Amino acid sequence: MDAFQALADPTRRRIVETLRHGEQQVADVVAKAGVHQSGVSRHLRILHGAGFVSVRPDGPRRLYSLRPQPFRELDAWLANYRELWEARLARFGAALEKNQETRRVKQRSRRR
Amino acid sequence: MSSKNEVGTRAKTIIERTYRARIEDVWALWTTKEGFESWWGPEGFRVEVHAIEPRVGGALRYDMIADSPETVAALKKLGRPPSHATHSRFSELKLGERLVLTSVIDFLPGVEAYEAEIAVDLSVAGDTVRMVVTLDALHSDEFTNMQKEGFTSQLTKLDKRFG
Repeated sequence: MDAFQALADPTRRRIVETLRHGEQQVADVVAKAGVHQSGVSRHLRILHGAGFVSVRPDGPRRLYSLRPQPFRELDAWLANYRELWEARLARFGAALEKNQETRRVKQRSRRR
Repeated sequence: MSSKNEVGTRAKTIIERTYRARIEDVWALWTTKEGFESWWGPEGFRVEVHAIEPRVGGALRYDMIADSPETVAALKKLGRPPSHATHSRFSELKLGERLVLTSVIDFLPGVEAYEAEIAVDLSVAGDTVRMVVTLDALHSDEFTNMQKEGFTSQLTKLDKRFG
């Protein structure tokens, strides 16, 4: 599952939001994110699989925290999307300029 | 289609440009085969328009074709073909003023089909044309929802936090 699919689920976004406040155990995620106990393991597993979440044992508990890398990748992706349109509209401007120039040349040759 | 996927409820990206140009020329770049093919791209791709019918409900069908060896190689690496057929329609159109292109995004695995819109508004001021392009953030509804929830600024915050 890619990063977008991992975050497509609103429950998983709530879990991410909760983990922004720092490392937490499952019980705290359940309480703070308002996630049902029965689904939380599956969601954490998906987030872990997509690289958003890391887990470490602490005695009998398992502590979950966020990993920065996939967020950096999403950030870069967003910037790319904007850049794609910036580049596209630069070509739009260039095409427009070229068409205007072609028209000017035609008009000049018609006047002769 | 569920209500969460309805067009119009989503956050938008807006890009504005002003050109010293005639409105007819700006309009033609969006509504003619030759015009559209001359700039749509994106980088590393060319576009071949099969149908462009600038009227309400009219089709815009084109292939995006990888046209640089680097793009072809990159797509191959991802297991994607070098050409992708795109089907859109002019869902709104007011000659020389406004057009909306709507595409069905139904090719993303695990993502319910949804419609993405590109709205173009034109206005003339003296010898310039102001063009406002309003985009649904691709590639997905949920991605836009992330933006709506201020996720982009969160990303930066997270980056700082972990950086």
